[in-house]
Amino acid sequence: MNRQLIFWVSIAVLVMYIAIALAAPLIAPFGPTAITGTPLEPPGDEHLFGTNDVGQDIFAQLVFGARVTLLFGFCAALLSVLISTSVGIVIGYYGGLVDEIVSRAIDIFMPIPMFPLLIVLTTFFSPGILQISILMGVLGSIYGIRIIRSQVLSVSQTCFVEGARAIGASDIHIMSRHILPNVMPLVMVKFVSQSQHLLVMGVGLSFIGLWDTTTVDWGTMIQNAYSSGGMALGLWWWILPPGIVVIGISLALAMIGYSIEEKFNPRVGVNRL
Amino acid sequence: MLPMISGRYLLRRIGYSGVSFLACVTLTFFLLHLMPGDYITNYLLWLSNKVPAEMVQQFYEQMGLNLPLTDQYILYIINILQGQWGYSYQYGLPVFSMIMEKLCWSLVILLPATILGILIGTVMGAWSGWRSGSRKDLALFNVMIVFRAIPEFWWAIMAVMLFSFSLQWFPLGGYSSISILSTGLTIADVLYHAILPILLMTFFIATGNYYVMRNSMISVIGEDYITTARAKGLDERTILWRHALKNALLPMVTITTFQCAAIIMGNVFIETVFSWPGIGFMTTEALRMRDLPLLEGIFLLDSLLTIGAMLLADILATMIDPRIRMGNDE
Repeated sequence: MNRQLIFWVSIAVLVMYIAIALAAPLIAPFGPTAITGTPLEPPGDEHLFGTNDVGQDIFAQLVFGARVTLLFGFCAALLSVLISTSVGIVIGYYGGLVDEIVSRAIDIFMPIPMFPLLIVLTTFFSPGILQISILMGVLGSIYGIRIIRSQVLSVSQTCFVEGARAIGASDIHIMSRHILPNVMPLVMVKFVSQSQHLLVMGVGLSFIGLWDTTTVDWGTMIQNAYSSGGMALGLWWWILPPGIVVIGISLALAMIGYSIEEKFNPRVGVNRL
Repeated sequence: MLPMISGRYLLRRIGYSGVSFLACVTLTFFLLHLMPGDYITNYLLWLSNKVPAEMVQQFYEQMGLNLPLTDQYILYIINILQGQWGYSYQYGLPVFSMIMEKLCWSLVILLPATILGILIGTVMGAWSGWRSGSRKDLALFNVMIVFRAIPEFWWAIMAVMLFSFSLQWFPLGGYSSISILSTGLTIADVLYHAILPILLMTFFIATGNYYVMRNSMISVIGEDYITTARAKGLDERTILWRHALKNALLPMVTITTFQCAAIIMGNVFIETVFSWPGIGFMTTEALRMRDLPLLEGIFLLDSLLTIGAMLLADILATMIDPRIRMGNDE
């Protein structure tokens, strides 16, 4: 299989999802909650993917659901990577007391189990997907700080950093121009894998019903169809589309993540000697 | 002989775990108590849409919810230190025994699944990593990426649809047949209901471990001591078993310890899809009902397990690998 091809296909898929989410009102023929047809209509001309048990258009729900799911996944992942990168670089570069304090705090917060906390938080902040993703981002960054920090520690020891310091470059300049580019591959891998992870988790949470149930997203769509026995009744168009779109984005992100990792981490792609 | 770890390090590590635990308990306590809605309004609204105000007041007083939050917190800490985990609002039963009962049910699935999953995943990962770059390895690796990208609940739904609904090999869900009303709970019957969830859970754990083990194996193969072993002219079998595998298994120790801790929440999805009466299922229900003591108990147990596992993993890793001097900062 051609890695390069898979990578670009995955990128294309990702771009397509984002475009669909952004242009949702233009693409979807109906609103996500509007009742526009008879219940349980099979796919046809008017309703591309049919309708659900109350006559809402499934295609419209899919398109609008993309917004919720992608927003959650990417916002949270972006925030988490931003925090872990900036904090990791600063404490790794300066070391000393700052490093000591932050590292100890991480030691304390690391063992706190995240998943139950996330479940509580989603209940806590149900009205806003954005708030949940901010919280997830903050919580998810804790582990990343450590990884980035240890990478920064080894980069700080290199000759070019010392050289930059010798010619009088400022700390900010060194951190942004010399250290950041060197941890960037790691940051990118973390971002992609983090967004895949969070995205799937978000869908999972809404599937088990621990999400704001009033917003239409892929998890609630699957949950509705599954709990009403959509599949058992042979109403495949009700349950399969949301599942397939989740798998699509998750697979694309996974492939992008592994491709980047292979490109930047020579060890992973190493052949047997 | 395992190298000794210093008492000072151990003590410091245990101290951190204690602080972690306290932070965790505090965090969950305040989060849960600040959660919008409470048991009495959530539950009764479900029964009827009008709740008499005096009833709500009485409930608050009985449960001590009218006290200031700080007083409640102090009471809570004192209680858990004395081993009093409180009583569930919903069932009126002691939280601890409720959790233990559900934990047993969860373990029916998780114990075999974790053991099998770790074994299968490690073996496959080691096999794949040793042959990294070969056609077979890449084929397996790609398949695993695809498997892992598909959400767990989706696998579960599809498995139920295929094996239980269409093929009718397994029951649709639950933990026993209706016939136990006359015959009593039999092991065979429970096993029959547990097979599909166990298989699925094994599958998830195995795919996760595969990736870790493969990566670990690949990075070990790149080490100098493997090159040295090859240069010495050792045969591949010896290199694999004596040099590569031993070192590659090290990260697995940490992962395995964590997996044992994650046991408690690990299968919310499976339990939801299969209506299995385990901890995960209980948690989602308790959340919906705002059954605070029960939730606090679950999270308490969960944080105890996770923090304990982290401590154990660190100590084990330091004991097994003399190169690691954790706590002295890498």
